[in-house]
Amino acid sequence: MSSISSSKNGGGGGGGGDGRILQFAPLGSIVDDGFWRRLSSLKLDTLGIDQSPIEITGFYAPCSHTQVSNHLTLLAESLPPEPSEQSSLRETSHGNRNRCPVPGTLLNTNTLESFHALDRESLLRMEGKKIFEDICSGKVEEDASLLSRFLIISFADLKKWSFRYWFAFPALVLDPPATLINIQPAAKMLNPEEAESLSAACNEWRNSISTAGVPFFLVTISSNSQATVRPLQDWEFCQDDGQKILFGFYDPCHLPNHPGWPLRNFVAFICLRWKLEKIQFLCYRERHGLADMGSSLVGEASFSLPQGWKDPQCVPKAVGWELNKGKLSSRIISLAEAMNPERLAVSAA
Amino acid sequence: MVLSQKLHEAFKGTVERITGPRTVSAFKEKGVLSVSEFVAAGDSLVSKCPTWSWEAGEPSKRKSYLPADKQYLITRNVPCLRRAISVEEEYEAAGGEVLLDNDDNDDGWLATHGNPRVTKSEDEENLPSMDTLEISSGRAIRSIPSYFGGQEEEDIPDMAEYEDSENLVEMDPATLQSTYFVAHEPEDDNILRTRTYDISITYDKYYQTPRVWLTGYDESRMPLQPELVLEDVSQDHAHKTVTIEDHPHLPGKHASVHPCRHGAVMKKIIDVLMSRGVEPEVDKYLFLFLKFMASVIPTIEYDYTMEFDLGSSSH
Repeated sequence: MSSISSSKNGGGGGGGGDGRILQFAPLGSIVDDGFWRRLSSLKLDTLGIDQSPIEITGFYAPCSHTQVSNHLTLLAESLPPEPSEQSSLRETSHGNRNRCPVPGTLLNTNTLESFHALDRESLLRMEGKKIFEDICSGKVEEDASLLSRFLIISFADLKKWSFRYWFAFPALVLDPPATLINIQPAAKMLNPEEAESLSAACNEWRNSISTAGVPFFLVTISSNSQATVRPLQDWEFCQDDGQKILFGFYDPCHLPNHPGWPLRNFVAFICLRWKLEKIQFLCYRERHGLADMGSSLVGEASFSLPQGWKDPQCVPKAVGWELNKGKLSSRIISLAEAMNPERLAVSAA
Repeated sequence: MVLSQKLHEAFKGTVERITGPRTVSAFKEKGVLSVSEFVAAGDSLVSKCPTWSWEAGEPSKRKSYLPADKQYLITRNVPCLRRAISVEEEYEAAGGEVLLDNDDNDDGWLATHGNPRVTKSEDEENLPSMDTLEISSGRAIRSIPSYFGGQEEEDIPDMAEYEDSENLVEMDPATLQSTYFVAHEPEDDNILRTRTYDISITYDKYYQTPRVWLTGYDESRMPLQPELVLEDVSQDHAHKTVTIEDHPHLPGKHASVHPCRHGAVMKKIIDVLMSRGVEPEVDKYLFLFLKFMASVIPTIEYDYTMEFDLGSSSH
């Protein structure tokens, strides 16, 4: 069992004749109307022409239906609260298992020209660099959601009530890419006792207010098939011989053969911080809101630390601008029907 | 909104302001819920079906009679793989279809029932009649382009300008290419598209029942106009019982199953249970209620577990 963490297989063409490139299914975004409404009033009442980046919070949850992936969602509550309502909001979304908070940055420009003039490549690198630094400094062990940090650029045309926006989910690029050795439903990869114990442990993790929103975790499975879910800080206690380790994450993706996007920076973290070259990972998914070992996946991957990453000052390559209908382009939403006071007055008459 | 509906809303608003929330249980007698029963039933739903959660909503819209952190229930990202209207078309084949008139005469919808039925029952004395809420069928059912589509035209030159070579998708071998996600660019209207819904349940103080609201998203995850949501509503109801109104806790207009008949239907369900010797428990109310809602929105696959058998046709 200890072979999982001590392999010297340097990636590429290794196990079982399989050895494909480990490919990650991109995350998608979904924005509630309430977000744009709150942004509009924030812009009109507070921000004015200030274009400084705004810290926001996105939400996601493990996939819970076999046909559709979960998405990163922005709600009114994603933006800083209005001055009148400071306190209560944070508390109420804390511990909501269907809303795991993810830190993000909003860059809202004042003109369409400045929106298009943004240097998206360097913005993405900057966000990637933040993730890289949080990995190196150990911050990720304290707050695992930093691995899924995201960026949104936008132009809010308040005259027309239209909003142009573009999400990026920055992922550090491993070069050469990681190799997928095997991937199967957890129910197949684990024996029945292990699967049952893991389900119970995951449900407990998801039901506890303090851990429900923590999207990355460690699973240890002892030789008598007992699974334990632990936070990343417990890494040093996980390395006893004779237990299996799975690197688990809330997987928003529903595809039966591919892990979702969050695993990508988790792999970078494991490679960079814990210097492993081969792992087993758990794509944690649910059905009816409960752990489901049939749709959850267990995979095995190998990789090696890119040379450049050994320098803590390095700025790693990052990818992750969201596609719109298969193309690299921004999205537009118009709330004219719903928000324009003149039109509202007409329709009310 | 037609005038009669607006008048009714104004009347309902006034009644809600001057009357206190129900505190005495009338669950078995009238199929309605008191505020505390709604909270208990919601707690039970959240614990048994954890895809549902309580939300606080906008502080400015908070109802003082509900706990601040339990204003309404929501489940997000619920798949809807088929349009209810097309399912019914297949199902009912060629019988009794009527092309509904509309002002433009060009994209009328096929309705499977010329005259939506309203089942009257004897025990509705306390429930305001649905007749006050009639919606003119001609205008409710025209297919309207999504928010996105409506605006796109004016933005096309602008989009084209920036879709230059630097915006070509970069080949990154570790990114799963998007063939899975945009597999069928549907020019053809026969191709059904996966939509997702956020479904919320609020407490309607006037009717003293839960009330369901639908917020839809299309396959590219852009919001659906509430009118398009009607394609996912059983056609019996799309013309009558589903209205588009302001959500009590969320911004904007949303499609909602009007609660005027909920008490009566729930009362029938409860009577059926009791006639079978099952003692209904008030904290199971929302499971029964959601099962009943599935007849209105048959293709939206939200979670509700049933711990007891209701039989095949309980209402």
